[in-house]
Amino acid sequence: MSKVKTHKVIGLRSTRLSIVLFLFFILLSNQFEPYNQSQLANIAMLLIAVLSITLLTGASGQISLGQGAIMAVGGYSSALLVTRLGLSMWLSFILAIFISALFGLFLGLAAARLSGPYLAGTTLVMALAIPSIAVRFETFFSGDVGISVDYGMPPKWLTNLIGEVSIEEWSLYVVLPFTAVALFAVLNLSNTRTGRTWRAVRDNEVAASLAGINIARTKVIVFVCASGLAGLAGALYGFRGLVAPSVYPTDLSLTLLTAAVIGGLRSIGGAIFGTFVIVFLPDLIEKVTGKLAIPETIGIYLPALTIGVLLLLTVILNPRGAAGALEHIRHKKKH
Amino acid sequence: MLAITNLVTEFASIKALDNISFQAKPGLITTVIGANGAGKSTLLRTISGLERPTSGSITWFDEELTHKSVEAIVRSGISQVPEGHAVISQLSVAENIELGGLFRKRIARGDLATATKEVYELFPILHERRNEPAGSLSGGERQMLAISRALVSRPKLLLLDEPSLGLAPLIAAQIIGIINDLCRSTGLTVLLVEQNANTALAVADHGILLALGKVVADLPAKEMAADSSLRAAYLGY
Amino acid sequence: MTSFLSAFFSGTAQGAIYALVSLGLVLVWRGAGIVNFAQMGQAMFTTYIASQLIQNDYSYWSAFLIALISGAALGALVDLGLMRPLTSRKNSQLLTSQSMRTTIPVIASLGILGVLKALAGIFWAGEERGFPSPVAPNAIKIGETNLAITGFDLFVIGTVFLTLVLTTIFFTKTGMGLAMRASALNPEVTRLSGIKVGWVRTLGWAISGIASSLAGLLVTPKTNLSPNTLDLLLIIGFTAAVVGGLSSLAGSVLGGFILGYVISFVNVYSAPENVFIAILVFLLLALFFRPQGILGSKQVRSV
Repeated sequence: MSKVKTHKVIGLRSTRLSIVLFLFFILLSNQFEPYNQSQLANIAMLLIAVLSITLLTGASGQISLGQGAIMAVGGYSSALLVTRLGLSMWLSFILAIFISALFGLFLGLAAARLSGPYLAGTTLVMALAIPSIAVRFETFFSGDVGISVDYGMPPKWLTNLIGEVSIEEWSLYVVLPFTAVALFAVLNLSNTRTGRTWRAVRDNEVAASLAGINIARTKVIVFVCASGLAGLAGALYGFRGLVAPSVYPTDLSLTLLTAAVIGGLRSIGGAIFGTFVIVFLPDLIEKVTGKLAIPETIGIYLPALTIGVLLLLTVILNPRGAAGALEHIRHKKKH
Repeated sequence: MLAITNLVTEFASIKALDNISFQAKPGLITTVIGANGAGKSTLLRTISGLERPTSGSITWFDEELTHKSVEAIVRSGISQVPEGHAVISQLSVAENIELGGLFRKRIARGDLATATKEVYELFPILHERRNEPAGSLSGGERQMLAISRALVSRPKLLLLDEPSLGLAPLIAAQIIGIINDLCRSTGLTVLLVEQNANTALAVADHGILLALGKVVADLPAKEMAADSSLRAAYLGY
Repeated sequence: MTSFLSAFFSGTAQGAIYALVSLGLVLVWRGAGIVNFAQMGQAMFTTYIASQLIQNDYSYWSAFLIALISGAALGALVDLGLMRPLTSRKNSQLLTSQSMRTTIPVIASLGILGVLKALAGIFWAGEERGFPSPVAPNAIKIGETNLAITGFDLFVIGTVFLTLVLTTIFFTKTGMGLAMRASALNPEVTRLSGIKVGWVRTLGWAISGIASSLAGLLVTPKTNLSPNTLDLLLIIGFTAAVVGGLSSLAGSVLGGFILGYVISFVNVYSAPENVFIAILVFLLLALFFRPQGILGSKQVRSV
C-alpha cells in the first residue's frame, strides 16, 4: 500500500517540476529580447539531448561520445519527412523519435557487447562517420549544402490569443512542450522499477546479472530510449533553419557530454544546469573579452578552453558534478 | 626479528585482523595456522603492504614497515609468495625469475646471476623449462617458480601463503621440505601460512593459531602439534 | 596495375603511421586500463612546437627530437597530474561503481583534448599551416619511369620500421621492458617483486607520447597542421587497436597496417568520402565477429 503511495507522490512531484520549469521558461522568455529567446529555445532542445546522456551514462553507465550523430539521424529524418513527403512538422518530430530509436536499437545491439572505452571509441567513430553519409549520398541527403527547414509562422489562433509572437518566441513555444514531456518521462523513469534495474547494471554488472537482470537486454533498451530522445533533440535543433553535416559536428557530441558531466551525470537538475552553462557561457565569455580588450583571435578559443577546464575540474574535484557538490554542501549543513 | 604489535586490519569496518601481536624469530620457521577465514592471508598481505592496517605496527628488527609501500618493503628484504602459485603465466619461466631480481639489477648484477643459478640448482625442472611460458607449468612447478621469483631478491624474511594449496601431498611435502632445508642452511627467516596444520607444524619451530582474526595460541610447534584439544576446537580434526 | 601499386605503397606508409598511433593507445591501455582520447591532441601540440622551432630557424632534426621529448614529457604529465590521482582515489562515491571507474578517465582525457586544442588555437592562431618533411614528396624515378612510391613514403616506412624494431628490442631484451610487460599482465605480482608499478605506468604514458608525437610529425607534411588535423588519426588508430585486440602490442601494429590498406584502397578504388563509413563499418564488423581482436586473448575482453 505504502509503495503505491510513494509512486504517486513521485509522479506528482515530477509533473509539478516539469510544469514549473515549463512556466519558468515562458516567464523568462517574456523578459528577454529575441536573441536570448532563441538561446532559451536552444537550451530547451539541447536539454533533451543532455537528458539522453544523463539517461545513458548516469542511469546505466554506458558512455556515448556520439549523441550528436544520433541527433543528426533525428534531424535528417524529420527534415526529409517534411520536404519529401510533405508531412506536418509536428508529425515529423514524433516520427523522428521512432526512427532514431530504431537506429539506436541497431547501435545498442553492437553497444551491448561493449564496455567503457570501447563504447566511447565506437561512438566517437560514429560521430565522425554519420554526418559524412550525408555527403556520400548527396542526391538523397543534399550533401554539404543541407536541407532548409524551419518552424514556420505562428498559427493564427495563437496570435489572436496573445498578440504578436516573434519567430524566436514561436520557436520556444514549439520546443517547450517536447522538453517538458521529455523531462517528465526521464524523471519518472528513474524512479520506477525499470530505472532501478538500470542503476543496478550501472553499479555492478556481475551483481545485477546474478540478481536475474538481463544485462544485454537492459543496455539495449536504455540505448533505444536515449537515442529516441537525442533524435527528437536533433529534429528540433535542425528546424532552427538547416539540417546539414555542419550542424551536427563531432564537437556537438562532446559539448553535450560536457553539459551532462559538469552538471552531474546522475542528476536531472544537473543536466538542466549544465545545458544553461554550455549555451550561455560563450556569450558570457564574449562579453568579458570585449571588456578586457582581449583580441578576437584569442577570444574565439576561450569558450572551448573554459569548457575543457571545467570538464577537468569537475572530474578532479567532484566527479558527481555541480549536483553532487550541492548535495555535499546540504549534507554538511545537516550535520 | 619480525614483531607484530596490536595489528588491526579492517574491510568495510569488519575486523579481519583483530588486535594481533606475535613475534617471528630470525632464522626460524614460524607457522601461522587456522581455518578458512581466520585472517591468515590478510595477515601476510598486511605485512607485505598489500593491505593497509587500521592500527598497530609491524617492525622488522629496527625497521618500521607499517606504512611503507609494497615495493619499499620488498626492497628491505621481505618477499611474499602470494596464494595460488602466483606467477605471470604469459611470461616465460626465465622472465618470471628475472622479474624477482629486477630491482637489484643495477646495484648487484653479479649477485643476481649467482642467485639465479642457485634457484635453478634448487629446482632443476625450472632450468629445463626456462624458455616455456609459466602458464604451461604444472601446479607444483608453478609454486616452485613463485618461490624462486621471491628467492632471487635475496630476502631475509620469506612470507609464504599456503604453498601446499591444491598440490598433491607428495609434491607439497617436497616443497615444504625444500623450504625447511633453505631455512636451516642459509638462516632465512620464514613465516609460513598454512591450512594444513600437520605439514606445517612438522617443519616449523613455532606455531601461531589464528581464529576469526585473533591469536588463540602462540606455542612452540611441538607443543601445538601435541595439543589435540586445540586442534579439535579450532581446526576441526 | 599502377593504381594498385600506388595504393599498396601509400597504404603501407599510411598504415605505418596508424600503427604508431595504435601502438600508443595500446601501451596506455595495457598499463593503465585507459583509452587516452587526448593522445593525438598531445601529438598535435608537440607538432606545433616543432613547427614553431622550425620557423625560428632550428634545423628539422633538432625540432624533430625536441617534439619527441615534449611528447614523452606531456604523456608523463597527463599521467602524473591527472590520471594517477583520478584512478587512485578510492573514496569517491561515483567511482565505486565499475562503469564510472572506466568512464571518468575517458571524460578526463576528453577534457585534456579540449584544453590542448584551445591552447594550440590561442598560441598558434589556429589556421592550417604546412609542415616540412626532410625528404621531397616526389615519386622516385628510375631512368624515365616513375615508381609508384614516393621518397617521403619510404622515409615514413623506414622511420616507423626502425621505431618498431627499437620497441621490440626494448620490450623483449631489457629489464625495463620486462617490468612494463609484467605490470600490464599482473600488477600485484610485479609490485611484490619490488617494482614501482606506478612509475612503470608513467613510463608507458611517456613512450605512448613519443609514438604519437612521431605519428604527428610523419603525417602532417601530407595533411597540414591545424588543431583538428589529427582527430581523424585518433579514430583510425583506435579502430586499428580494436582490430588488433586492444591488449596486444603486435596486434596493434598489425591492425594499423590493415587499416592503412583498407583506407588506401577505398581512396583509390572508391571515393575519399567513403573513408569514414569504411572505418565505421570495419570497426563494427571487427567488434561483431572478433571482439577479442586478431591477436588478443579471449579472457582479456571479458568485461
